[in-house]
Amino acid sequence: MTAVVDRPTARKHRPSTFALKQVMAITGVVFVAFVFIHMFGNLKVYGGQASLDGYATWLREVGYPLLPYKSVLWALRITLLVSLIAHVYAAVALWLRGRAARGGHRRRSMPRTTAWGARTMLPGGVVIFVFVVVHLLDLTIGAIVAPESYAHAGPDGLIPAYANLVASFSRPWMAAFYTFSMLVIGFHIWHGWRALLQDWGVTGRRFRAVWATVGAVIALAIVAGNAAIPLLVLMGVIA
Amino acid sequence: MRVEIEVWRQDGPEAKGAFETHIVEDATPEMSLLELLDRLNDQLAEGGVEPIQFESDCREGACGACGVTVNDRPHGPVPKTPSCRQHLRAFGNVTKLRIEPLRSAAFPVVRDLVVDRTSLDRLIEAGGHVDIMAGTAPDADDLLVAHDDAELALDFAACIGCGACVAACPNGAAHLFAGAKLAHLALIPHGKLERGRRATAVVDQLDESFGPCSTYGECVEVCPAGIPLTAVAAVHREKLRATFRGRRTAG
Repeated sequence: MTAVVDRPTARKHRPSTFALKQVMAITGVVFVAFVFIHMFGNLKVYGGQASLDGYATWLREVGYPLLPYKSVLWALRITLLVSLIAHVYAAVALWLRGRAARGGHRRRSMPRTTAWGARTMLPGGVVIFVFVVVHLLDLTIGAIVAPESYAHAGPDGLIPAYANLVASFSRPWMAAFYTFSMLVIGFHIWHGWRALLQDWGVTGRRFRAVWATVGAVIALAIVAGNAAIPLLVLMGVIA
Repeated sequence: MRVEIEVWRQDGPEAKGAFETHIVEDATPEMSLLELLDRLNDQLAEGGVEPIQFESDCREGACGACGVTVNDRPHGPVPKTPSCRQHLRAFGNVTKLRIEPLRSAAFPVVRDLVVDRTSLDRLIEAGGHVDIMAGTAPDADDLLVAHDDAELALDFAACIGCGACVAACPNGAAHLFAGAKLAHLALIPHGKLERGRRATAVVDQLDESFGPCSTYGECVEVCPAGIPLTAVAAVHREKLRATFRGRRTAG
């Protein structure tokens, strides 16, 4: 019989690991929904300048006069910010718990596993965070990394989103960074969406297969729909 | 055949361990990993050296007592196979083996390749059992169980409790093990009676001794019982079910 050297930790995690996983799942879904709708909005760029600028302006006016000007926009922004803080906090806490539970010995990862997506979640998350900051500075705040011609309001009173977008993506480094970030977001969603099955306890074989496929399609649609824009700007199709 | 073995030696739980290199000149392709260690131990004993401690019992893949990490893979290079069923003939050209214990913070090393897996016993104590006196075996038609349910329960009951899933997990999680128990017991008549209590107790115990599951899926690659990743979902299904039903003490 084996001698017992087990040391029960009796550690009480607060919040519990289960709760943190649920936070990751719920806030993750908020982000997937946001990114998908954002991509859908971006497709207005193919309708030309008036189409995209009108959409950007509508985002600020939606619900007016029932709701105050920009109120829907700010409600969404606050939801996203709260989700971001919760998502990052839970990710870091879970990562630390995983490292502690693994112990001091590192092992090379195994070939032929589905682990690749999981392993890139944390570095991918850092890339996405940097992208969000750059993207906000570039096309929302209009500072530091924004194109020189950036403007908050056009002569016609509309938000000049189209001109800002074209000016920004005409810089190859920004176009490349944006495209790269979209690929990272795609992989992040691909794995995160599959992890939802685990976190929400889906055990049915068919549901799992369909769900994983839907996730892959969503990830692909987001990557294709968004990453095409800077490439088309560089090729001069969108100008 | 000549096999070079880099093996982990550690005198006790608090001692600092290190790798030691040995050569077995007369290894044969039909030897299992454990038989290779037996051969090496004979060699060490002849030379008056303390043999390498490792665990084994049935040596036919049924008991879950054995388990060492070989070349960074819990149980060895052959996927989904316990250490006792891994034979040198299956390793191809690999004749250098680095053998170390199953690694996880939840599995402290007792000596050499022997680890203490009491943390898994704590999960069983928390909820990996049926808590009622079931009496003698009932008549076969007394409690009807659908054929598919019985088969699925048996698939999850195949877990031999070796702990390779925990050692394989980059997060030191035991969700595959815990999920196999929860999924198995939730499907059978007596087990169903305490689903809620069991789920809550097991998930609490997972939190205390093990890490979070990030769906790496490496556990599935090494599981000798072929427990699917669905077991992890079963952990959360049972826990969510208990939470929404608000039953912490009964089914």
